[in-house]
Amino acid sequence: MSLLLSIPRRFSGGHIFSVLVVFVFLYSFTSPIANAQNRVSKRFPAGKNVRVELKNISGTITVESWNRDEIKITALLEAPTANVSPKLTGECVSIDVTGDNRGRGDVGDVNFKIQVPQDSSVDIETRRGDITISNIGGGLVRAHISTEGDITLSGISATQVLAQNTIGNIFFDGGFSRGGTYQFQSTKGDISVRIPADSAFRLVAAASTKKIALGEFWNNRFQTLGDGRKFVGDVGDGRSSVMVTTFQGSITFIRR
Amino acid sequence: MNCEKCQELIGDLVDGGLSRKDQSTLGLHLEECFACADVRNDLQSIVAFCRSHRGEYSAPPDADGLWLRIRNVIEAEAQPTAKSAPTSPAPSFWSGWLSRSWELSMPQLAASAAAIVLVVSLGTTVALRRWDHSRGMGPVASSPRSEAATRVRDRMWQQEQAINYWNQRVETNKVRWNQGMRDTFERNLKVIDQAVNDSLNELNRDPHDEVSEEMLNAALNEKLALLREFSDL
Repeated sequence: MSLLLSIPRRFSGGHIFSVLVVFVFLYSFTSPIANAQNRVSKRFPAGKNVRVELKNISGTITVESWNRDEIKITALLEAPTANVSPKLTGECVSIDVTGDNRGRGDVGDVNFKIQVPQDSSVDIETRRGDITISNIGGGLVRAHISTEGDITLSGISATQVLAQNTIGNIFFDGGFSRGGTYQFQSTKGDISVRIPADSAFRLVAAASTKKIALGEFWNNRFQTLGDGRKFVGDVGDGRSSVMVTTFQGSITFIRR
Repeated sequence: MNCEKCQELIGDLVDGGLSRKDQSTLGLHLEECFACADVRNDLQSIVAFCRSHRGEYSAPPDADGLWLRIRNVIEAEAQPTAKSAPTSPAPSFWSGWLSRSWELSMPQLAASAAAIVLVVSLGTTVALRRWDHSRGMGPVASSPRSEAATRVRDRMWQQEQAINYWNQRVETNKVRWNQGMRDTFERNLKVIDQAVNDSLNELNRDPHDEVSEEMLNAALNEKLALLREFSDL
């Protein structure tokens, strides 16, 4: 043994490079940085009118439509990694990060990207983090953030839309369907609603700050209450119902 | 003429207040009816006696004392009678109370009437207060302004009970959260509390402000929802 150690050895550049490659390869699987983010991806077959339910704790969530009859869920898990186990029950795909990690206390952010058929219903709620939902036209679009995070809903033609957060802005760009209900509420955030000019709806808008701008949707049939803190009235024939509330922010209606 | 009618008219006959016709009709009956004739004779002798002894009667010097003595005599006679018949069933409270009689002087009567009026008035006042209280209207809630304030206070009290419960659960679980989650929770709770306080201040200025009341309800519901959700973590 001592003889082996005492014999001088010659190493070429190729040897050294090979050793470095092996080292980098092993390090990439074992270092803490590598463990910091895991990726989970799962696909589910989907018919028409499928529903996706997600209850997250923390992290960003993006839901978008695609032209496939399947649902793809991709989750990036930050350390300490949470348990994420999507389930398919009938026509409903559900991911309950809150329930799956109950009692564990500290789990890292889980950032979701979910792709669904356009006619899907999506019901998303999280404690913290932004929610972005685009081009969905199913029965329901619900985005609920218990604390802070922005909600961006674009290209939405669902018949029921609910968006609520505590701190953060809410932006809606879509259409109001006949008989639909649309509710937007933020405690401290600006709410912007961008809709077609020919939209018809009954509006109840309340802002403690009195910052309510209805723009081209204003008409003299609107009733002003609470010294300008609340507007109630019909736009067009008022065939859908829209309720917008903010405590420390503004409400703005924009014509598309 | 019958006896009943006759005895009604005898008093007037003795006093000389009857018409000639009535006198003759009554006279015919008295000649035929010995009972009525006896009544007339008795009455005539009483009246004659009183007339002859007019002014001779004097009231006893101590009328109250006399009545007291009479009552003592009656009670003294009544007690041995009651003791001598122990087997007879004791009269019930109600029958005893109903058969009992009281003698009251005018001052006593006036005092009793005043006491009854006082008791009824007090009873009515207490009953009305209780009734108002059971409807959630204290004596101060008589005006619409204070009614609205009371309504808000009641709702606040109810919500606070629930908030306290969930708050305790949150405090228990909070130690398990990471610092980021704790900071987020505190920051958002502060924002909601600010919204609650703003609405309450508006309501203090104008208790009838429906917009502020709606905003207060929404803010309280949001606070409750936040606590409930975080108590689950």
